[in-house]
Amino acid sequence: MSGDLKTPGNLEGWLQGAGQPLPGSSVPWLAAQRAGALERLRADGIPDNKSEGWRYTSIRSLVDQPFSRYAEQVTGVEAADLEDLLVPDLDAYRVVLVNGRVVPALCNLDGLPAGVRAGSLREILEADPDAVEGRLTAIAGGGVHLFTALNTAGMDDGFVLLVPPGTVVEQPIELIHLSVGMDEPRVAQPRHLLVLEDGAQAVLIERYVSLGDSLYCTNSVLEISLGSDSVLKHDRIQQESFNAFHLTGLYLSQGRASRYESVNVALGAAWARTDLVVRFTDRAAECDLKGLYLAGDKQVTDFHLDVEHGVPGCASRESFKGVLYGKGRAVFDGRVFVAPDAQKTDAHLSNKNLVLSRNAEVDAKPQLEIHADDVKCSHGTTVGQIDADALFYLRTRGIRAPLARRMLCMGFAEEIIQAIGTDALQGYVSGLVGERLEKAPLE
Amino acid sequence: MLSVKGLTANVDGKQILKGLDLEVGPGEMHAIMGPNGSGKSTFAHVLSGREGYEVTGGSVRFEGTDLLGLEPEQRAQKGIFLAFQYPVELPGVNNTYFLKAALNAVRKARGETELDAVSFMRLMKERLKILHLDDSLLKRAVNAGFSGGEKKRNEIFQMTLLEPKLAILDETDSGLDIDALRIVAEGVNALRSPERSMIVVTHYQRLLDYIVPDYVHVLAKGRIIRSGGKELARELEEKGYSWIAGEEAA
Repeated sequence: MSGDLKTPGNLEGWLQGAGQPLPGSSVPWLAAQRAGALERLRADGIPDNKSEGWRYTSIRSLVDQPFSRYAEQVTGVEAADLEDLLVPDLDAYRVVLVNGRVVPALCNLDGLPAGVRAGSLREILEADPDAVEGRLTAIAGGGVHLFTALNTAGMDDGFVLLVPPGTVVEQPIELIHLSVGMDEPRVAQPRHLLVLEDGAQAVLIERYVSLGDSLYCTNSVLEISLGSDSVLKHDRIQQESFNAFHLTGLYLSQGRASRYESVNVALGAAWARTDLVVRFTDRAAECDLKGLYLAGDKQVTDFHLDVEHGVPGCASRESFKGVLYGKGRAVFDGRVFVAPDAQKTDAHLSNKNLVLSRNAEVDAKPQLEIHADDVKCSHGTTVGQIDADALFYLRTRGIRAPLARRMLCMGFAEEIIQAIGTDALQGYVSGLVGERLEKAPLE
Repeated sequence: MLSVKGLTANVDGKQILKGLDLEVGPGEMHAIMGPNGSGKSTFAHVLSGREGYEVTGGSVRFEGTDLLGLEPEQRAQKGIFLAFQYPVELPGVNNTYFLKAALNAVRKARGETELDAVSFMRLMKERLKILHLDDSLLKRAVNAGFSGGEKKRNEIFQMTLLEPKLAILDETDSGLDIDALRIVAEGVNALRSPERSMIVVTHYQRLLDYIVPDYVHVLAKGRIIRSGGKELARELEEKGYSWIAGEEAA
């Protein structure tokens, strides 16, 4: 791959490195997708900060980084290295990616129900690319921004889960992205594909963790297809290094009467952006997106929701909460679109922010675009401080002001944390958030 | 125990308390009655250290300490408890965690050790029974989604747990039906002791049928204009506040 982008910030460099060839190069449909994505990248260039999707988050600070692909697969990570990063008492199947590549020795997928395919994208593309044709890259399409195209051009590995009709995977599957710092700043571009056929059910826990606090970038894309009456519960915990850049583009396609529930918790990274893109393809589908973000000094966290009600009778709930302190910054851009014939749509969007210092900032932009007339839709955004009455109440019970403030922040966050489906994970996240608040300067 | 002398206080720049005097001895139950806007709740909040209530003159001493120089939590740790007229809802704040934090803060200030988990649960369950409250309350968020009666009972429950030296009950009877009122009164009476003092702020005499005061004070226009025994409350109920206010004017 050669040829520089006309705009500064050599993103094509991100695709280069001395690693193994990208998987699927001999698969014609995928090769065409990769080439198309690269073409789009070159043609479109890098958006400036006046473009709507990047108005509040500096893309410059990201694209100016001289990232390159991870060279070789990391082999030195052993189960013992992971131990401190695991969720205590969590019973789950486990898939571990180290620097964007699946490490089979760290995975445990034994005992999955018959017919379920689960494993490395690289392996599937080598052995049986037909299994993912029509799904991989098709769900995301061109994507909402250039980083999806970049991932398509450079996807290196990822997790594939194919659940056949009517099959229920009861135990959660935990997908761990571990980043291990290298001397050079590297980028991992994992690509995940989850397909739940009609009536299938699964629980996915997706975590981003790191060993050390090095500078790296994760640019992950998830494509999820839910068949009729299928149910996916998806909890996502982002605990990247505080020097890292993190991007997720999640593309969800929901069939008739399918249900998707997710809790997105963003705690780490210096710069993080998550795009959640939901498309309903048939009636009676429901999605429930929840999120919690904490941002302190030297942190920017950004959530973009893009939920399109293109068909009648679907329901969406979006409820995101943020706690900002120090010089932390957050962006919440929630778009819900209701097409003219999407009657009986039920859509509610809520974003609440607790801003604990004068230097913290949040840009909240809920957008409800309704083109149908028989719908139930609402949205609400709040940006506020700790409630003085609540603080006084706690203090009259002998609780010192700093602890009282922390209790109220924790209470604010709990509403989202309690929506996490797996008890062990819920307790773990509650602990993580508590720890963060304990260290946060709450003015 | 509590000595209030010439207390004046402003709220939003407006003078509400205009020279209030009150002496409360150990074990005494004082009722403060008065018409709306007389300064009853302001007085309760000033005693607890609410921000926004500006004390402009006078003194408040509690067991010899200048109370006005203390933060709200320090006052609580010294043994002052305010039962709120409108208990605040704290969504997401678990009741058990809250009660434990409060009890441990107060115990620590008293030089006692923290309670272990088993003793803590036993104590809570015992005190819940006094207020006819269900154990499920412990799992809920503080006051969140509670009915008016539940909130008031939760206040008194907290009081029985924290065992203050001086309890201030701010319009605890408002919004309670007669059964809830009886339960709340039982909780208050269970706590009466020769060491524990109480100030009951109320608009109506009704509460005082269940919680019998040693002294009744009438607060009007920011000052106590009449003090007497429990019979004063009944007299007020019959003749109305205008009776005293009229006498005062004469």
